[in-house]
Amino acid sequence: MSLRSVSEGGQTRRSFIKFLATAFLVFRTGVARARPLLASPVKVNRLRPPGAVPEEIFPAKCIRCGRCAEICPYRSIKILDVRYGVFAGTPLINVEEIPCYLCMKCVEVCPTGTLRPISQEETRMGLAVINRRRCITWLGVALCRTCYNVCPFKEKAIHLDQLRPVVDERFCTGCGLCTHGCPVNPKAINIEPIYAFRKKRK
Amino acid sequence: MPSARKENRKYNPLRLLVQFLAFLVILVNPFLNYYWHFDFVQGWYQSLGVGKLWFVSPLEGLESILVSKTIYLPLLVGMLIPVLVALFLGRVFCGWICPINFLCELEDRILRFLGLKKRKDLLLLPKRLLWFSLIGDITLAMILGAPLFVFLSPPGLVGREIMMAVYFHTLALEGLVVVAVLLLNLFTRRFFCRYFCPLGGLLAFLGLRRRLKVVREKEACTSCGLCQRACPLGLSPERGESEGPYCWNCGACVDSCRFRALDYRWVTGLGGQSDTPPRGE
Repeated sequence: MSLRSVSEGGQTRRSFIKFLATAFLVFRTGVARARPLLASPVKVNRLRPPGAVPEEIFPAKCIRCGRCAEICPYRSIKILDVRYGVFAGTPLINVEEIPCYLCMKCVEVCPTGTLRPISQEETRMGLAVINRRRCITWLGVALCRTCYNVCPFKEKAIHLDQLRPVVDERFCTGCGLCTHGCPVNPKAINIEPIYAFRKKRK
Repeated sequence: MPSARKENRKYNPLRLLVQFLAFLVILVNPFLNYYWHFDFVQGWYQSLGVGKLWFVSPLEGLESILVSKTIYLPLLVGMLIPVLVALFLGRVFCGWICPINFLCELEDRILRFLGLKKRKDLLLLPKRLLWFSLIGDITLAMILGAPLFVFLSPPGLVGREIMMAVYFHTLALEGLVVVAVLLLNLFTRRFFCRYFCPLGGLLAFLGLRRRLKVVREKEACTSCGLCQRACPLGLSPERGESEGPYCWNCGACVDSCRFRALDYRWVTGLGGQSDTPPRGE
């Protein structure tokens, strides 16, 4: 009788530990799965449309009405689907696919002020950064100046220094035309969304 | 008798026409925007732009304000007209415009056409659930830091799915919510609308003191129960529930009444002139 109860107790303990272990595993995989649901989809070359508020309040302000995507004449703005968790339904521009041509139509229709009504010059979707170890002009392999040619603020945002492209932080809007045009693969000029994660300065 | 009935029937065709036109707006608009860049009318029933005039769905706007804790004046202006409509006319958006209700009515009509006419509401829950889903949705949105309903709201989803289909030639996964809502409508008419739609809850809340009500004339009413059978929300106008908070003023009961005991009335002042006090549950 006592022996049986002891063995039963051992079994329940073992099964309990097993249960704990599985629960922990499930929890860990759950957390790992949930992380992309809460992490911002904004990263290099994946940018918010012009005038976007900082990423920390973007998902709170945006009501997912999709009007920015509907009015975008270039189909640059895509709507994220349910796999992006709390960011589902928010707009995103993949500049490698279709860059932003700064027509500024989306900022006019946003009903919530998530995209603030700003001008072309004020747009700061990100900052173009040249990878000098990949850029064929900087490497001295060829004389390419595609990024300079396609830049909507030529001579301001991108100018040539001894025929090599240089980005000026003061004028670059992060529209991604240069990234889109860059013939090097992987891209030698990329848009870093530095403003999206910068805390507000007053 | 049949002649009197025919004479009385007037709101259902009108409502169907309005619903159809409202659905046509979100159906045709993406095509106009996509192929002809005609963007005079833009968006759908989350936010609709007509020229420079904006409409913003009140719940979406409220959640945006509450969650981001900032106030953007154009957003408030966009919410103004829908809120005023809800204050005076009640949940008319649900009854007369909402694409989900339109699809549900089509579903009902198809079922009736197929001969599945007699349909009981199989699953009934307390009507108060509507308030809890409204409060729960707003609370959850504020905890998550992202408006929840704005993304999964079936009335908005219909528009977004149509836009997705036209623009990106694909349907988003979340459209399954719409399918689920339409399937639930098979078991209980407007199951989602009755108990779980936070937007309906907010509009009902705004419309608590509404002016437009379906009012029963006590002398004419024979308590035959036809109106209750006609009501898509399972309310009982003969017990005064059409004057309560849950009615969405669709007018189906008005059409069903053979004795002209029910009709819309513009109720002025508090309480109204009706003899039956509005009942909550």
